[in-house]
Amino acid sequence: MQKDFHYYATYCAAFIAGYSHEESLDIAYSAQFVDLCSRTLLSKLKAPLSAATTQLQLELMNARTDLVGLQDITRIWASFHFLPGDLRAEGPEKSGRVYRSKYRLICKPNGDLVKDTVDLAKGGSLQAAGIAMHVLADTWAHSYFAGTPSLVINNTNNYFYELFPSDTGYQEKLVDFHHTPGSPDDLEKGIYNNSIYQGSENSIMNLGHGRAGHLPDYSFIRYKYLPAWANYEEIIKDNPHDYYYAFCQMVYALEFLRGLIPQFETGRYAIQAVSPYEEEIRQILEKRQLDACADWKALGEKLSGESVEDFDLNKYQAAYMALPENEKNKSFLGRFFLASLAQKSMVTNKIFKSGNLLAGFSVDYAENGFAGIRDFFKLIEAFAEEARHD
Amino acid sequence: MTKIQRIQKILSGLLMLACTILLVAEPEIGLYVVALILGVSLLLSGLRSLIFYFTMARHMVGGKATLYQGIIVLDLAVFTLSMVDDPHFFIMLYLLVIHAFSGVMEILHALEAKRYGASAWRRSLAAGVVNLLVAVGAVVAVVFLHSTADLVFLYAACLFYSACVQFVSAFQKTAIVYIQ
Repeated sequence: MQKDFHYYATYCAAFIAGYSHEESLDIAYSAQFVDLCSRTLLSKLKAPLSAATTQLQLELMNARTDLVGLQDITRIWASFHFLPGDLRAEGPEKSGRVYRSKYRLICKPNGDLVKDTVDLAKGGSLQAAGIAMHVLADTWAHSYFAGTPSLVINNTNNYFYELFPSDTGYQEKLVDFHHTPGSPDDLEKGIYNNSIYQGSENSIMNLGHGRAGHLPDYSFIRYKYLPAWANYEEIIKDNPHDYYYAFCQMVYALEFLRGLIPQFETGRYAIQAVSPYEEEIRQILEKRQLDACADWKALGEKLSGESVEDFDLNKYQAAYMALPENEKNKSFLGRFFLASLAQKSMVTNKIFKSGNLLAGFSVDYAENGFAGIRDFFKLIEAFAEEARHD
Repeated sequence: MTKIQRIQKILSGLLMLACTILLVAEPEIGLYVVALILGVSLLLSGLRSLIFYFTMARHMVGGKATLYQGIIVLDLAVFTLSMVDDPHFFIMLYLLVIHAFSGVMEILHALEAKRYGASAWRRSLAAGVVNLLVAVGAVVAVVFLHSTADLVFLYAACLFYSACVQFVSAFQKTAIVYIQ
């Protein structure tokens, strides 16, 4: 998903769920910031580097692909962009432990971790809500790919067709993939960019949906392909349908976070609350365009009657840097960093507890005290501070 | 990282360090040792492809290609090992390709980091320039100076750097803390 959904559509979902204009903006800002909070930015802000929620393309090209490097990559991408659907999935018969570990990181909506993510944000900051919305929405867009470099899971081949609805069902058109990073996809000619084939299992090129290009990120597109892991079974991806459910689930989750619903359950959607806007939303989702920001923005402004400002990466940076060290956690970005550390810590722990070491080791503080990466000490300080206030 | 993985990293660092010392102490035989290392690496890479196929890629759509790749690389390894007597070309090519690529990547990363205003860009730029210098050094040593010893020292320096990376990595804190 892109800024159109993570920022503007999240604003709409938050407003429909009952948040105020200002609160909705904060949630939307946090949801979009997940795609921009890289180590490069964090080092500029002198913020904890472990709070990174994404990696820039060149950070990735530079990333180590030894065990430690892969665990670092997996923690970021599995925690925030490719939440695993089933950490105890069986996988193919007679598959080994390493294969199974990767197979279990395949992202799917409505897994246990989605509930854990939303529950973690409950009672937390608006920034935590925004992060949870990003993670939840991406489970729909990034389904069937894993947030770890893996050829055997994330590869695709030439069998890749775009589907166009017609009177008799679907018309198919072979997708023409090119490897020219930076150049935009050509919707008219059906030319899309993707990452180049790399035979190495752990190559960065095999991270997430790189081999399928940006197709999973476009709300209008429908396509079919053969995922590497599905034993030659074809998958049909209907993004307009999936994105609509993602939107309805966001509204449902945000209603829960606001305290309107006692419990968040997977597989449930705020269909009723969204129904007055269904036609407009479906029109935006179906419109064949690379960027739907303008349409979602117009809908957001119609809903709230307020002007929805454009996303500005620099908006909160000066305020964060101006604060003394012991005050930073109270700033907008400080709260975001705490929420991202908490999300990463939780997902890593769940993956580790399932017997899967691909995201690295997790030390349970309650059982073993503090050990490990020092950045996470901020979480303990924050919890202690919270306890003092309570 | 498990304790065994940390020990593996330390052992691999020590092995690299030992090779570095051997190369510096005995540059005469050093070149043959380097060529041998490269040939054996290729052999191991072929075997690795085959193991990868039987453990993972056989579950993958189109995974058979890995099997064929493993067989071809194994063939190539045998061919390389048979040419150990004239290794200048192989080592130069290795140093040139690996370091030129790393150098360009580091410099691009530095430019992006600078655009974001991050302080780390100087370190990346320095690493990129050093990598490019190593690549250029490899070409100069063989094409212009015809100096086997210089090429060996260059390779030894790279090996020393890799050993240091292994040691640093072995002692790095990697566990994530979970607070309920």
